[in-house]
Amino acid sequence: MPALETHARFLLRGSALLVGLLVLWWFVLSGPMLYLLKEAAESFVDIQENAAGGWTVSVPLEASLPAAPGRPAPQNIHSVDFDIPRTDVNGFTFSIPVFWAIVLAAGGRRSLRPLMLGTALMCAYELGSLLVFFRITARSAVAQIAGGQDASGKWIGALGHYLVVNALPFIVPLVVALSLHRELRAAIFPLGKAPELAIPSLLPDKRKVRRRTALPRSL
Amino acid sequence: MGEQSHRQLDNLSDPLISWLLTGNRPVRFVATFGICLLFGFGLLVTPRVQSADREFSRALVAVSHGLVLACGGHAIRDRAILRAPGGFAIEMQDGCNAVNVTILLWAAILAFPAPWATRTLGLLAGSLILQLLNILRFVSLFYLGQYNMAWFDFAHGYLWESLLVLDTMVVFWLWVNRIVRLGAVTHAGA
Repeated sequence: MPALETHARFLLRGSALLVGLLVLWWFVLSGPMLYLLKEAAESFVDIQENAAGGWTVSVPLEASLPAAPGRPAPQNIHSVDFDIPRTDVNGFTFSIPVFWAIVLAAGGRRSLRPLMLGTALMCAYELGSLLVFFRITARSAVAQIAGGQDASGKWIGALGHYLVVNALPFIVPLVVALSLHRELRAAIFPLGKAPELAIPSLLPDKRKVRRRTALPRSL
Repeated sequence: MGEQSHRQLDNLSDPLISWLLTGNRPVRFVATFGICLLFGFGLLVTPRVQSADREFSRALVAVSHGLVLACGGHAIRDRAILRAPGGFAIEMQDGCNAVNVTILLWAAILAFPAPWATRTLGLLAGSLILQLLNILRFVSLFYLGQYNMAWFDFAHGYLWESLLVLDTMVVFWLWVNRIVRLGAVTHAGA
């Protein structure tokens, strides 16, 4: 069953790489990555690092709050400030090691180009998703203060938040890896003749060992 | 039996061959996948489905609790919360019940051209595999949390979720591989 071996090898290698790269990210890379992300995001919003290591973000947003019992006159808002704990911000850098693990698990001779290009794309995605997250959080804060958001508005906000926080960080590395790694894509989607996926085994090849031991008997 | 399986293989070959031969199939796959994914997540965040989702989480915690007890462990279940005698407690919230990766798998299977019987089999078997893995994840997190909270945060927030996505990809890959093998047999025999 050569096909099963390819799957099993990919899964084993991918799992081992995920563990290794995520541990490396957690202990070593997350700090510098977070610093770079903050520097890049500061081109769009004002971010201050607070004492707890989290971020205090000021998102420019024009909105007007109608008069309410606690607010006798309508009020205009020009920006929304909120705090994000460091653990939440960390989530916007972890998709990169996940992408690396998938591409490296696929192996192949031409992995370097998808690895480099994919890393650049993942960096752009992380920045984009962080800015979208800021926007969603700011809008939801304004809606809460204004009071009374319609059902569709609530649903759109909930969907956006779910996608940015719970779904896309895990799905995007997979999609980017499949889009850029030709051999991996060809292995999963059989679209005619394609280069075979050459995943190095983590374990010694049993067939080779068996053949070596069986050879003298057959002779 | 032979005739029935031959008919099944004949049904299987048509979409597969057109998938292999038609140039715009990948574009259609990506578009259908994206729509199914958005539809699935859109449905998931509606209040009614959220309520069903919470009930599903409680059921998964009940299964995990049963597993812990069956293996000789000690735990107390309170709805979607599993408590250890030492005081540590873990709650299965939205996003922890593998529904997100199940939606991912469903979107990929539904987007791939295959007969409905094969799709249904893939959806059921794939979902079952993912849910079994998620129960393993939940039980492992229950014990890891009692041992070290820092490692629990890491495994809960990042590691296990990424591993489940990788498993989802491999489950889909196995399913496609099975279709291709069956289709190739029919094509060669025709």
